[in-house]
Amino acid sequence: MVGERKVVPRLFMTVLLYAFVFFLAFPFLWLIFTSLKSSSEIMMRGGSLLPQQVTFENYLTAVREERIVGSALNTLKVSVASALLTLLIATPAAYVLARRPKGINQPVIGWILVSQAFPLILIIIPLFLILNRLSLGNTHLGLVLVYVVWSLPFVIWMLRGYVQNIPVEIELAAAIDGANHLRIITQILIPLILPGLVATGLYAFINAWNEFFFALVLLKSPELQTIQINLARFRGIEGLARWGPLAAGSVIATIPTLILFGFIQRGLVSGLLSGGVKQ
Amino acid sequence: MPILIFSVAPLLQGIYLGFTDYELGNSVTTFVWFDNFRFLLTDYLFWQSFRIGAIWTVLVTVGEVVLGFILASLLNARLPGQTLARVLVLAPWAIPPVIKGLMWRLIYHPEAGLLNTTLQQLGVLSQPVNWLNSFVWALPAVILVGIWSSLPTTTIVLLAGLQSIPQELREAAAIDGAASRAQFRNVTLPLMKPVLISISALQFMWNFNSFGLVFVLTEGGPSGSTRLPMLFAYEEAFQFGNLAYASALGTAMTLVVGIVLVLYLRSQYSSDGGA
Amino acid sequence: MRATFRTVLAGLIISSASAFAQEPTQLRFVSLAWQEQAIASVKVIVAAWNEANPDIQVEYQQVDWGSINDYLITSFETQAVPDVFHYESTQIKDFGARGYLTDLAPLISGDLANDVVEGAWATVEGENGELWGVPFLWESRIVLYNRDLLEEEGIEPPTVDDPWTWEEYRDASLQLTKDTDGDGKIDQWGSAVGLSSPVNFVLNLSIGFGGQYFYEEDGRWVVRVGDAEKAFLHLMTDMLYENPSIAQDGVGLSGPELFPGFFEGRYAMLPGIGVWARQQIVESGPQDFNWGVLPPLKAETQNQGSSTQTLSIPAASPNQEAAAQFVEFFLNSQNMATLAQGDWLFPTRTTSFERPEFQTQEAGWNVATESAKYLTMANWQRVPNFEEFSSRVAQPIFQELFANRITVDEAAERLEREGTRVLGR
Repeated sequence: MVGERKVVPRLFMTVLLYAFVFFLAFPFLWLIFTSLKSSSEIMMRGGSLLPQQVTFENYLTAVREERIVGSALNTLKVSVASALLTLLIATPAAYVLARRPKGINQPVIGWILVSQAFPLILIIIPLFLILNRLSLGNTHLGLVLVYVVWSLPFVIWMLRGYVQNIPVEIELAAAIDGANHLRIITQILIPLILPGLVATGLYAFINAWNEFFFALVLLKSPELQTIQINLARFRGIEGLARWGPLAAGSVIATIPTLILFGFIQRGLVSGLLSGGVKQ
Repeated sequence: MPILIFSVAPLLQGIYLGFTDYELGNSVTTFVWFDNFRFLLTDYLFWQSFRIGAIWTVLVTVGEVVLGFILASLLNARLPGQTLARVLVLAPWAIPPVIKGLMWRLIYHPEAGLLNTTLQQLGVLSQPVNWLNSFVWALPAVILVGIWSSLPTTTIVLLAGLQSIPQELREAAAIDGAASRAQFRNVTLPLMKPVLISISALQFMWNFNSFGLVFVLTEGGPSGSTRLPMLFAYEEAFQFGNLAYASALGTAMTLVVGIVLVLYLRSQYSSDGGA
Repeated sequence: MRATFRTVLAGLIISSASAFAQEPTQLRFVSLAWQEQAIASVKVIVAAWNEANPDIQVEYQQVDWGSINDYLITSFETQAVPDVFHYESTQIKDFGARGYLTDLAPLISGDLANDVVEGAWATVEGENGELWGVPFLWESRIVLYNRDLLEEEGIEPPTVDDPWTWEEYRDASLQLTKDTDGDGKIDQWGSAVGLSSPVNFVLNLSIGFGGQYFYEEDGRWVVRVGDAEKAFLHLMTDMLYENPSIAQDGVGLSGPELFPGFFEGRYAMLPGIGVWARQQIVESGPQDFNWGVLPPLKAETQNQGSSTQTLSIPAASPNQEAAAQFVEFFLNSQNMATLAQGDWLFPTRTTSFERPEFQTQEAGWNVATESAKYLTMANWQRVPNFEEFSSRVAQPIFQELFANRITVDEAAERLEREGTRVLGR
């Protein structure tokens, strides 16, 4: 397939691709190396990138002192729940938006726009007052609700695009066969937009996984804390940090996400297939 | 529906605050109509910050859409090592935000940072540059980090868009003898347009709204040259306690961003000829 | 809406208090300790309290310095407050004025009140004499130096009894600035200063020159930058640009970020660095690094402005009495000494301060301790709107000044004009 004359540009493209990979992934590599250094080696100027002496001390500290594993499990729980709940709400909403006449679209797009453009920090206080009133203050459920609210606009917008790409005729045909609405959605629609669900679900998952401030303010009990909160405790003042454990903890927090990326890479890519954000 | 209340009610209250005189700790607030907005018009520090925000938003958005498009094309070109590359380019997305800024601060460190050390070894620089404290380089330096940080999202969305272009269309174009450039212009670009528009619009909003990363890097310095407008609003709200004024700033900025986006979306879709 | 919410909340608290009278009181304590040793000390003290007081159980929560402000403000505004929290004096005065905090004056014992030095109490005092927190850690700024480099140059470090003046310091710094390998570039600097957040640095060290910056005129605060204020600014710009002996590396860095160069011998002295930063040398520096602490430099006086770290009790806490009891225990003479040592700062209690651990030669404690004697509360800690002045006016102007983009006189003029405008807002 690949012609002779294409070899040189392909070589160039490959080099360019690796340059991109280097730019994007290099800091992560650096993070891994840092996590394996002793604290005095980290502070040394002009020290080599590679650790001179590999130590796992930092990982032990991170796990022991801040219960990184326990908080990672909490975060996993919250993130998965947020992603699922977001999809559960967004799918019917997107369906309605995609199938209804245009009138309803405008206000919804307006809401999406405002919710994405208005400064988050100014919404926090009123949002928490509501949560406290519902006694959801110090609970994972409250946090999940916040994340759902936060991810929802983007997810609905994308899912709406997927639904629009599915010809109405398929549904009509099913309806003629006597299928009710629920059946149409669960048995016809969902399989068809499954890739899109995976992609948007991942977006919601990462949002929740990486979120810091809401988790900090909402969760008070130590046993409920999420991983980002525990990581932040290695930060100090004036640009200082306990670099070793912080880097080690960050690697621990990054790896599961990357593995997840690897697993659903296929689903993700074909998932955004047909450009979920198409109008 | 209850979720909608969670989302809409705080938004409405946030906007409402902008018309009051609420300061942190106040138990009584009064409705002051447009006082905050009047003050806003003469707040030259804010407008200075707004200008910086515009530069930041435009450059980061354009940068990541252009680079993201190139990267997505490369990732879609069946080059060797593609599977691993597709995972690795997502690394900035996966790295905890807590450490991102601190990490880049170390990379930019004027005399011990990797960037200066490398550039000096390569002979590009004879003197180390104080990147984050330079009145020339601070803004470009944070913009680079901004692009780094949000490139993965853009790339993934664009990659998905590229994959959705039916292979037959390209092959047809190739049989027609269309040169690859023409193929790009006539086939790829038009089909990618909706995706490009959507992601650039979203990124535009997100970038305008972001400030956490830059805050860790420079705290808005040197001398306010990287003080993004959202950082400005944040300081008003959480450091000086002027919550009402901050809300007014937020509302005004949302309005401006909204108008820009509506104009942008409209011009893009109408030039599409109703496709 | 807020008012009704508060009533509802209060109702809930009362009903729950009566319903669970048998249950132990639960206190939530937010701490900012972040260095390994400091966290360990806090945990030990909390555990000891919980052991001894089964009816008042304390839950320890660590928050980092970068998020504490947002955390507290959100907590106050939503009434979901911790019962005791750790922060610093300047900020809690602002919180106190906003009505977020309990006046501790009636809640603390005479023993604690008398033992903590008066200067420290002044840092937490509200406008009507309220005490918005218990100050427990003093921070001072010290000069760190590389013993080997000074010895090499034949410079005898000054003693506590005969400290350097800033002029003598400048001369030594100049002497230590040189091109060691003869390539025409200076590779050893006499000094380096972290100037990324220069405001507190300048204001606190100007005190020794008699520079106050803030003056009360006819019941209003104004900014005045006269000769006393300019003295320190002139000194800094001179050492940075006119007769360079301060490396420009530090202009955009914080003090501790200069450590790699300090360890390597690129900088001989680090003036004006936080006293706690010694911990970084001991824990992360090269083992054979030979360093010391200079006694506080003398301008007109050796005084410097300082703030304190504090413990406070929010007004919305339903367990104020229990919280105050815990504070008393947490800050008893022995515990306060342990905490200060763990954080590499000074305790505010006289009886803690006099303990031998603050007088040893090890890690420069004995000389560093000397600086604690000259700590005073600076005027800026009493100025309303100081935060805004600091970040919107002073920070940008000082940054331009230290980048050599404006002169001291231009900076002075702008500080007065823009500063007074902000204070009057």
